[in-house]
Amino acid sequence: MISESEGGIDTPRTVAAPQATTDRAAWALRAAIQGLGRPALAILIAGLVGGLIILLLGNNPLIAYGILWSGAFGNRISVYSTLQFTTPLIFTGLAVAFSFRAGIWNIGVEGQMLFGAFFAAEAGYLLRLPAIIHVPVAFLCGIAGAVLWALIPGLLRALLGINELVVNLMLNPTALLITSYLSGYPFKAPGPTNKTYDIQPTAQLPQLTTSSQLNVGIFIALALALVIFAFQMFTAEGYELKMIGLNPIFARYGGLNVTRSLILVMVISGAIAGMAGVEEALGVDHAYYDGFSPGYGNQGIAIAMLAKNNPIGVVFAALLLGALNSGGQQLQLQTNITRDFVNLLQAVIIFFLAAEFAVGWYRYQRQAKGVPRAAVAAEEGT
Amino acid sequence: MNQIFDLELARAVIRISVPLIFAGLGGLLSFNAGVLNIAMDGFMLVAAFAAIWMANLTGNLILGILAAMVAGVALATLFGYFNLRFKANIFIAGIAINLLASALTALLLVGIYNQQGSFVPENIPTIPTISLPIIGGIPGIGAIVDGHDPLTYLAYLAVPITAFILFRTRWGLHVRAAGENAEAAEVVGVNVFWIRMQTIWLSGAFCGIAGAYLSLVYVGSFSRDMTADRGLIALAAIFFARGKPYVMLIVAVLFGASQALAIRLQLQDQLPSQLLQVIPYAITILALIVVGIRAKYFHTTVRGITFGS
Amino acid sequence: MMEATRAIEMQGIVKRFPLVIANNAVDFSADRGSIHALVGENGAGKTTLMSILYGLYQPDAGHMQVFGRPAHFTSPRQAIKAGIGMVSQHFRLVPSFTVAENIILGQEPGRRGVIDMGRAEREVREIGRRFALPVEPRDLVLNLPVGLQQRVEILKALYRQARVLILDEPTAVLTPQETRELFRTLRQLAEQGTTVVLVTHKLNEVMEVSDRVSVMRGGQMVETMRTADTSPARIAEKMVGRPVLFRVNKDPAVPGAPLLEVHDLRANSSRGIAAVRGVSFTMRQGEIVGIAGVQGNGQSELVEVLVGLRPATGGEIRLHGKVITNMSTAARRRNGLAYIPEDRGLVGLSMDATLSENLLMGQQRHGPYRQGGRLRLRAIRRRAWQLIGNFDVRGAVPMASARSLSGGNQQKIVLARELSSGPSLIIADQPSRGVDIGAIEFVHQTLVRMRNQGCGVLLISADLQEIFALSDRIIVFYHGAVNGDLPASEATVETVGYLMAGVDQVSAPGAREGA
Repeated sequence: MISESEGGIDTPRTVAAPQATTDRAAWALRAAIQGLGRPALAILIAGLVGGLIILLLGNNPLIAYGILWSGAFGNRISVYSTLQFTTPLIFTGLAVAFSFRAGIWNIGVEGQMLFGAFFAAEAGYLLRLPAIIHVPVAFLCGIAGAVLWALIPGLLRALLGINELVVNLMLNPTALLITSYLSGYPFKAPGPTNKTYDIQPTAQLPQLTTSSQLNVGIFIALALALVIFAFQMFTAEGYELKMIGLNPIFARYGGLNVTRSLILVMVISGAIAGMAGVEEALGVDHAYYDGFSPGYGNQGIAIAMLAKNNPIGVVFAALLLGALNSGGQQLQLQTNITRDFVNLLQAVIIFFLAAEFAVGWYRYQRQAKGVPRAAVAAEEGT
Repeated sequence: MNQIFDLELARAVIRISVPLIFAGLGGLLSFNAGVLNIAMDGFMLVAAFAAIWMANLTGNLILGILAAMVAGVALATLFGYFNLRFKANIFIAGIAINLLASALTALLLVGIYNQQGSFVPENIPTIPTISLPIIGGIPGIGAIVDGHDPLTYLAYLAVPITAFILFRTRWGLHVRAAGENAEAAEVVGVNVFWIRMQTIWLSGAFCGIAGAYLSLVYVGSFSRDMTADRGLIALAAIFFARGKPYVMLIVAVLFGASQALAIRLQLQDQLPSQLLQVIPYAITILALIVVGIRAKYFHTTVRGITFGS
Repeated sequence: MMEATRAIEMQGIVKRFPLVIANNAVDFSADRGSIHALVGENGAGKTTLMSILYGLYQPDAGHMQVFGRPAHFTSPRQAIKAGIGMVSQHFRLVPSFTVAENIILGQEPGRRGVIDMGRAEREVREIGRRFALPVEPRDLVLNLPVGLQQRVEILKALYRQARVLILDEPTAVLTPQETRELFRTLRQLAEQGTTVVLVTHKLNEVMEVSDRVSVMRGGQMVETMRTADTSPARIAEKMVGRPVLFRVNKDPAVPGAPLLEVHDLRANSSRGIAAVRGVSFTMRQGEIVGIAGVQGNGQSELVEVLVGLRPATGGEIRLHGKVITNMSTAARRRNGLAYIPEDRGLVGLSMDATLSENLLMGQQRHGPYRQGGRLRLRAIRRRAWQLIGNFDVRGAVPMASARSLSGGNQQKIVLARELSSGPSLIIADQPSRGVDIGAIEFVHQTLVRMRNQGCGVLLISADLQEIFALSDRIIVFYHGAVNGDLPASEATVETVGYLMAGVDQVSAPGAREGA
């Protein structure tokens, strides 16, 4: 046993490393496939359940899914529409994923996005600046608004240890009420709709096409995904946030200022969420419309879960949900299936992914022959 | 200004609080068992729909209420299993349930009745009202309290009954033990899983009545997302009350009052309703702050609210 | 029908868990009215065996008889009905309930679901009187001291007519005096016919109170003997499988300059109550100081203050003469502090992170591993392999998760990380807990080597054997303060025991004249 290693620290012992490249590549491939398995299964099951509901509503599922597909990718216009929906979803997905990975449950993305949009719209309307300055300034104003809102749950968690999930739950409807009030009363533009004044042309995000509202925001979103990926994989700070997310006590002992990091994560996450709102206000609506969001923020949660908090995965998951949103629009036009169908699919996906350790748990149960949880907790070192 | 605080408002407060109280009672039981029920909006929504559907179909109010309770319990089963059996994070499970309920009822609204906004049934009998024999005669209070529908009285009566069950019965003791120290309960033979499941079922049933009340009695129709976060507000009341039934009642009525006030003020066009509607959420956050400060600086132990790190 | 003399009979019990065989064809029996000790190291399988007896687990093979009747329990409820009661290490009490509510939980008197609280309180008072374990039924458990809480636990079992009482490491949280109380109670119960099974690894207690002792090792039952016929050394030998030296072979210490100076240190517990009340001591380079004391006397809080996980409310800490009282943990580590935490899984490691990541913590911003803002992943992995080799973490790879390792290997990873930064002060808190015997040796030898190289080691352990084996000097903690500071050569278990119970050093029996 130990008697051999008289040296310990002083005399290093070499241990064989695995056949470097091939082993590691195979291991990585296996991990990737395993990683994709559950999300793919989740989507499949959602599709099946959705099909059942379609039947229930008196439609042919194949036809309905066909419409969904064509509404998402059928022609050029559909593709633009899909990409347009995808843009804010990349932002909200990144916002949620970034926070989840660091152990903060920022489900308040919806509210942060709303404030981002509102502040950006007002900055876009009130300021008179040349376009090259106006866009960044309005962008930053929007982000600032979102960050301020995100600081509430962030500070409460960091300073008082209050569960940010509960706070965000309360803040989301609050954000909706406040922005609804602002766009309906003090900042309302004349007319029947509750919206703010249109932004100056200099504040608009350049359009990419003439037939849709697809704008440069999508490039910003993609670039952001890459930046976050690099950050998480290659920087010490990214490593630190990951460790905080996995075990904050260990991280604190390891010398990390967990409190400051939590606040930082909330700020960044809120900022990214704000960008979703900014993109919508400056690039799509060119104003703040009360109720403009079909739940982009909440869709971000499903996206983050599908992507397992991986920024590159977020892009793909956002594309999926963007396609669903776009196709769902067509579905609503052509059948009696409203856009709520997209939310239904989302709900099933979230269910399935949230329960994902069910499979592993059952396997363990069979092996341990019915070990009650209380007893497992008591057993120390068996 | 004194035209606002009148008899009608008082009566409105009593009625508007009813769904909050029902949902609050159900949620309170699961809260005491250690389950944070975020999904009450979802329960109430499907219940509201089921109530309208059944009552319209059969012309019978009782059947409508029963259908609502069944719907509530069904959704509660889904919620309970995903959280307790499959260990899904309770907030995520709650979000999923609420999303599911909202989408499902909206889809069915169009699918069955071909209405996108709301459906006003024509086949529903009038809601009965009860005249209280002696109390009705008391000046002032009598006028406020008399002549409500049976469900309203049921809501208020259910509070002391729930309190009794929670604090004086075996089952109630088990519930509270499960919530505070599940291990301790397990070892003496209390099946914590089932206790929690039962409280979730009860929560579904209570929300069922709440939903039925909302669609059948209070509004008389079903519209998309008609629960309007009442479940969340009920949860806020539970938090504020730390799971105590009578305190929860008071808080629920206070929240109801702010809602009634908001509606009244909007009708009279004096204040936009949104600012008043913020009250329950703002108060909950303030309450959480107070609790958090006390826990941190005065080291009181808090149950039922998970604190980070 | 002939009355069975055997209260419990277990034959051929086998229990497998995913990573280990906890019980490997174990035979165990206990006579009615006896006190039977079940001993073994952590992980020997004694808790598993008793959990099977109590219905928490079901055996994969084997039979059980309780009072002569075959028994197969699928839940504690069934075991309780058969007359088995268990008091576990971690109390299973509901803090906000009263004593009575806790005792009757699961078996509440009453009619039609309504609890008859009056009757419950009467019955609890009566039981307390009958077994000479008086309690006040209306007291809230969260207000009771630990000894009384344990009493409530015992009464819980007795209330359910337990005729077999299993106590799992009951003295871990008691002072020696409270322990003697407990033993008196146990003897009384045994005289009244209750069968007591005492699960412990404290051999002196085995000698003091038991009639028979069964020794388990590595999942197997090694031997059962009459306590009168054996000795601690022989029991220990069976527990470990080879002669055990009660002191680690080490050269005498050559202490150097003062390393850690603690002056009148004060701190509060998480509840806001004073836990560290004016602690003062000095530690030198090149010595191992052991802190002995019953759990709950402020040692945990002291460690947290020293490490920087808990704020001090008064006093001063100096490391190498530099004041570190209000320094952050990171700064203290930069100044030479290393910490082997009591709670490996929470503080020492990130269970779901890889070994590479666990080993990197603390070094991620330093030269070799980070250049121009980027992490040098290859260098990080190479270092991980190196450390795994140096610390003999068998079969581990950098990409493995910490959770996949055994307790002993996990501790080695903690050691590897902490010691590789070249510390001067090592605080080791319960370093052997949950660690197999081979790894314990490694840990001990490592600590001694660090001490020989000039480090100071502060050892906190609930295991007096470990304290005595390693320490050059022993400090006894009682009620949040130092109640004894003596060289290990002058300390006896008895002296230390009294000091742990609060008797001051001068009057403690066994203390040297004029010491």
